[in-house]
Amino acid sequence: MRNLLHSMNPSVKFVLVTVSMLTIAFFFNPWTPLLFWLGIILLQLTMSRINWKLWLLFMLLFSIGAFGYLWTTVVFGADTGGTVILSFAGIDVTDEQWARALSLAFRVMAFSTLSLLFAFTTDPVKFIMSLMQQLKLSPKLAYGVMVGYQFLPVMKDEFIQIQQAQRLRGAETEKRSWQRLLAMRRVLIPMLAGAVRKAERSAFAMEARGFTGEPRSAYYRPVRIGRTDWLMSGVFLAILLASCIGGSWMS
Amino acid sequence: MLKSWKLKEVVLMSLFAVVFGIVYLLFVHAANIWAAVIGPLAYEWMFGIWFIVSIICMYIIRKPGAAFLSETMAAAIEVLIGNAMGPRLILSGVIQGLGAEAAFALTGYKHFNILVLMLAGIGSAVFSFVYGYFVSGYAALDPSFVALMFTIRVLSGAIIAGIGGKYIGDALLATGSLRGYAIARAKKGDVNA
Repeated sequence: MRNLLHSMNPSVKFVLVTVSMLTIAFFFNPWTPLLFWLGIILLQLTMSRINWKLWLLFMLLFSIGAFGYLWTTVVFGADTGGTVILSFAGIDVTDEQWARALSLAFRVMAFSTLSLLFAFTTDPVKFIMSLMQQLKLSPKLAYGVMVGYQFLPVMKDEFIQIQQAQRLRGAETEKRSWQRLLAMRRVLIPMLAGAVRKAERSAFAMEARGFTGEPRSAYYRPVRIGRTDWLMSGVFLAILLASCIGGSWMS
Repeated sequence: MLKSWKLKEVVLMSLFAVVFGIVYLLFVHAANIWAAVIGPLAYEWMFGIWFIVSIICMYIIRKPGAAFLSETMAAAIEVLIGNAMGPRLILSGVIQGLGAEAAFALTGYKHFNILVLMLAGIGSAVFSFVYGYFVSGYAALDPSFVALMFTIRVLSGAIIAGIGGKYIGDALLATGSLRGYAIARAKKGDVNA
């Protein structure tokens, strides 16, 4: 039971998450995103094993963003009519406006939870392999992305190396944060030049070992769609449908 | 479409996507903190940064699809790194890439001067704004505020992505590492090679 979200086919999960998001985006009442949000949290609570401390940390960040949405929508909201329920500093807040602001804030929360659900329960490599096998992503692109992914730790080391080398030669470190941001180009250009060389070398190595990039029919590690995926699709769509109907009915 | 692509060009896009994926992530976090203070407006002026990889890759590789594919790859890499935004990011990467691609397609993939690059930045801005209008529900905001957001985003796309992209591309060309790519051949005046 607690492995269900982890063992789902990544492509199926990806499609479900995308469809849910695009559907929820049609609703401007506060209940639909709220119900959906709660549903997704419930789903994650019962069907996954994740690091909840890390989850809370991320959610905290997203809540800050949701709060930003809440107050901007209240202050800069479109004229929708309705009765004034609150007024301060010359701004009248109508009940309609408040409902929409809440809706957008809950939407941010719902989307964030949904994204975290995907990010926390999906193995990146399996995701790319599944995109190639189920969604017919070109192997040239899929393996190209995998090469980039494998180079990630190398890039990190190189970043530190370039910085240290520049410091050795007396490049100044800026104190102000915006100056440091501008000084990033000093590191960025050598990084990119290194990336160009790495790309050439690894592409050459791949071709030398017989990689053509042609679509294939057999894979070393097949990723399949199974019974779990049908079951979970049902659960996902049920939550989506319930929150759409329930939300419209409650408001 | 991919038939005419060399593997080294695909891998180049992927590695650029890694570098910029990290840059993008840094800015996402910075923007998220800003957003709490000044709302969605915080994202607008730095939006151009998120379009830059498509413009740099197209400027270097000059093949149909370079803008779209690189932006999508950057989004995919961000997800692989373990970004909390997840699949949502891939979708916006696709949309932004298509916006830049549309600008290059309009000019027939023949011109890569600063104006076309700025147009590509604007294309990304417009596409991503339409998408954001729908997904983030800008319809609930006051039209004049939405217009302000739109203007800032277009400017950011033209200046940060367009001019910034060309600047980085030229700086990279000067290092001499881009021999063997379309940008270096075009400089020599041998366009057909």
